Amino acid sequence: MYKILIDRSLCSGFGACADLAPDIFELDSGGTASVRVGTTDDPVVHDAAAACPMAAITIVEEAAA
Amino acid sequence: MKDPTFWILARATGLTAYVLLTLSLLAGLVVKSRPFGRALKAASVVDTHRFLALLALGAIGLHGLTLTLDRTVHIGLSSLLVPGLSGYRPLATGLGVVAAELAGLVIVSFPLRKRIGLRAWRKLHWATYGVFALATAHGLAAGTDSSQPWAFSLYLGAVFAVATATAWRVFTRPIRPKGASRVQDSDRPLAV
Repeated sequence: MYKILIDRSLCSGFGACADLAPDIFELDSGGTASVRVGTTDDPVVHDAAAACPMAAITIVEEAAA
Repeated sequence: MKDPTFWILARATGLTAYVLLTLSLLAGLVVKSRPFGRALKAASVVDTHRFLALLALGAIGLHGLTLTLDRTVHIGLSSLLVPGLSGYRPLATGLGVVAAELAGLVIVSFPLRKRIGLRAWRKLHWATYGVFALATAHGLAAGTDSSQPWAFSLYLGAVFAVATATAWRVFTRPIRPKGASRVQDSDRPLAV
């Protein structure tokens, strides 16, 4: 399981995360990325984190409950 | 005989600024289109984009400084701030002044993006294309060297590179990994 953390002070609304994983990330009305879910088992989150131009996404791997 | 040092420096810094501006624009264009895939980390490309933009701004500053120090064409400080005041090719010089001021505005807006609002900041960032177009027109019309084949090729190459990178950016969509997203519900979204 992956816990997704977004540093909203860094996020500049490029939307690369929402392009890559629209089920997990979205841009709010202010243009800042937010997560639709707190955790996922989809490894695409690593692609989204790597694609973030501001390096605002951190993925923490957690053991499944 | 007049000392041509500052005149030569003005031409060199102008061309340097144009090359740096082009490279910065190209770096900015590959941030999201990612033509090199995972080979380049997006955050590193953004750092490079910003560094090149700051270098371009520095080169623009030196271009203006050397022009005011030069005695070949007599460009005063006011001519560098207000478009069209220069007695030397006023229209072409004015285009360069507008380009420089717009470039400064776009670059300075980055640390202020939260205050401006992300959507407004991103719209302002599109002005970079205006900066590039104005800088190209300025270089071709005002540049002493623009009639030289090497300099004309430089401008042509820059326009071609930016047009190609823009087309790539427009016509390619982000490549999503195969397989649908498997979302797990949780108590609430997390953000720091």
